[in-house]
Amino acid sequence: MRTPPANGPDSPGIPPLALRRMLAASRRQFVTAAVLLFTLVAVSIANPAFLSGQNLRDLLVQSAPVVIVGCGMTLVILIGEIDISVGSLLGLLAALMGVLASPQRLGLPIPLVIAGVLVAGAAIGLLNGLLVTRGRVPSIIATLGMLTVLRGVTELVMGGEWITNLPPSLRWFGTGSSLGFPFSLWVAAAVAMAIFALARFAPLGIRILAIGGNPDAAAIARISVPRTKLLVFALVGLLTGVAAVIAVPQQSVIESGIGAGFELVVVTAVVVGGTSIRGGYGGVVGTILAALLLGSIRTTLVFLDLGESAVYWERAIQGAFILVAVLADHLASRPGPDDSLAGARA
Amino acid sequence: MKLASRLALAAAVALAACNLALAQTSPATPPPSKKTVICLLPKKKGLPYFTTCAKGAEEAARELGNVELIYDGPTDGSPEKAASMVDRWTLRGVDVIAVSPNDPQVLGQAMKKAREKGIHVITWDADAAPEAREFMVNQATAKDIGYALVDAMAKDIGGEQPEGEVAIITATLTAANQNEWMRFMNERLAKYPKLSLVATKPSNEDQRLAFQIAQDLMKAHPRLKGIFGISSVAFPGAAEAVKQAGKSGSVLVTGLATPNDMKSYVHDGTVKSVVLWNTIDLGYLTVQTGAALASGKLKPGQTTLDAGRLGTKQIEKDQVLLGDILVFTKDNIDKFDF
Repeated sequence: MRTPPANGPDSPGIPPLALRRMLAASRRQFVTAAVLLFTLVAVSIANPAFLSGQNLRDLLVQSAPVVIVGCGMTLVILIGEIDISVGSLLGLLAALMGVLASPQRLGLPIPLVIAGVLVAGAAIGLLNGLLVTRGRVPSIIATLGMLTVLRGVTELVMGGEWITNLPPSLRWFGTGSSLGFPFSLWVAAAVAMAIFALARFAPLGIRILAIGGNPDAAAIARISVPRTKLLVFALVGLLTGVAAVIAVPQQSVIESGIGAGFELVVVTAVVVGGTSIRGGYGGVVGTILAALLLGSIRTTLVFLDLGESAVYWERAIQGAFILVAVLADHLASRPGPDDSLAGARA
Repeated sequence: MKLASRLALAAAVALAACNLALAQTSPATPPPSKKTVICLLPKKKGLPYFTTCAKGAEEAARELGNVELIYDGPTDGSPEKAASMVDRWTLRGVDVIAVSPNDPQVLGQAMKKAREKGIHVITWDADAAPEAREFMVNQATAKDIGYALVDAMAKDIGGEQPEGEVAIITATLTAANQNEWMRFMNERLAKYPKLSLVATKPSNEDQRLAFQIAQDLMKAHPRLKGIFGISSVAFPGAAEAVKQAGKSGSVLVTGLATPNDMKSYVHDGTVKSVVLWNTIDLGYLTVQTGAALASGKLKPGQTTLDAGRLGTKQIEKDQVLLGDILVFTKDNIDKFDF
């Protein structure tokens, strides 16, 4: 659900198509919530252990990185772009974290390590943004290139070897708890609330929606399109750094494959959550619900005890979700006779 | 016009990305020499298991003197990338290619092509179809490994008649090694009628996935007593999950991994036994076998091989056997550094 920027003095009026899309987006958040609820109830009936505190806690912890990066990705997709480099970026930041922190490598103090990871994430996000705004490379191609480049750089940084012996004070960020909840959940909740508030109430959020809805109109309304896009790309990079800080130290080893396929899960969460892949409509709440739904697929498959190859179905089911979501998006926004202008933009 | 130039730029960026990715995996071209060139391909480069194998291989190459060793493999474990490395070495005309195939089907084709070019091809660590290679350097028979794993679990659970539910986390469902081991694990489980195998799950050589699967298994099967992690990636992942769930000692984890990766889990009681062979010796024996094959000292039908510091090793048909399985416990694990 989203408040349309219709009443702002500079924003364009909402055409009927946009209204239909917006309704579709909010409807989809309900559908996602319903599917999630149905899954939880059905699996809990089949195997009551699913509802145990431990399991719900594990599900939330596993979904935390997807929620964190998904919030940033929602903004990127809202503005009409996409960033598919986040999986490799997570891998590179993991390697960087290991090299900075491991006593066998640089062995820097932990606050410096974390600052380094966050700064590097934001900087690479900014670079993505520059490729898109200054370089005028379509974002799907620019970030596809970065997906490959960053994976290559990761392997150079690791030097072909795993990083073990992470200092316990760093492991705490992945395994520690405060006030009875895992630290990673506090971080994910804080990020989700901040991005929700930013998207809904801050001028930046309004600008993002305006650009995603109609970039030409936004430019006429004197919104700086490139600067807003740069900010959003840098933000998703920064959030990938935040995700790395809480997700990577959960394991005892840093390997070069971390983050492979992560970008797909994140984009799927955003789209399944009801944000239009064409930009303009959607929101963070749907993304969070969808991230939890996607995160529960594998656990569900294990709990239903569907045989040894069931783990492989996870990807197939995720893929089916994204197809259904995009199809629903397409059907909801099929252009009518009055919508030729908006249709041409997509 | 604008679109065309954008596309051109995009294509250039994508190409540059591909080049970079290729450039960083290709081995440096060595200077021409009369040395025997032996290429050693691990399933996945960077794993401590294979890195220690490479250490032994280097040691053998140094000892032999006239051997030039190239150690390279895919850092993501992709069989397709591994096959393209074998193709590249075939084009270069190296003397020996030793492969640990992640997928015997995919690698088999490339290995056959290499053999047709007159290159000696052997497998080590994992096997491919017999016609794809001349010898296999086998760390231990599948039977030894399968039995040792089940016996270790039975001993760790303890009692006259060890009792409880156990589960296996394997590598991939197509991994030839693991499937053979599991066949013999099942055979050996018959000896312990009160141990019941409730689940077998793949982990795709991904520690995070192994960790999550172990978490799921413990909750889906609350009476679970033991988890086998039968790859060097699945084992530490499963141990970490048990430790974080606070079930160290009540859910026992055993499996195959290098001792250095498991030391902390052995000392905190999550793991009582680690089953493995000496990986340094495995790499050493592989290079010794390759060199003997290239110099003509090793021919099909032989029953022994003179393997440097390892002494004389048995050959069973086309399998060069490394021999003993090691079981690491908290009493001896600190004596090993690999």
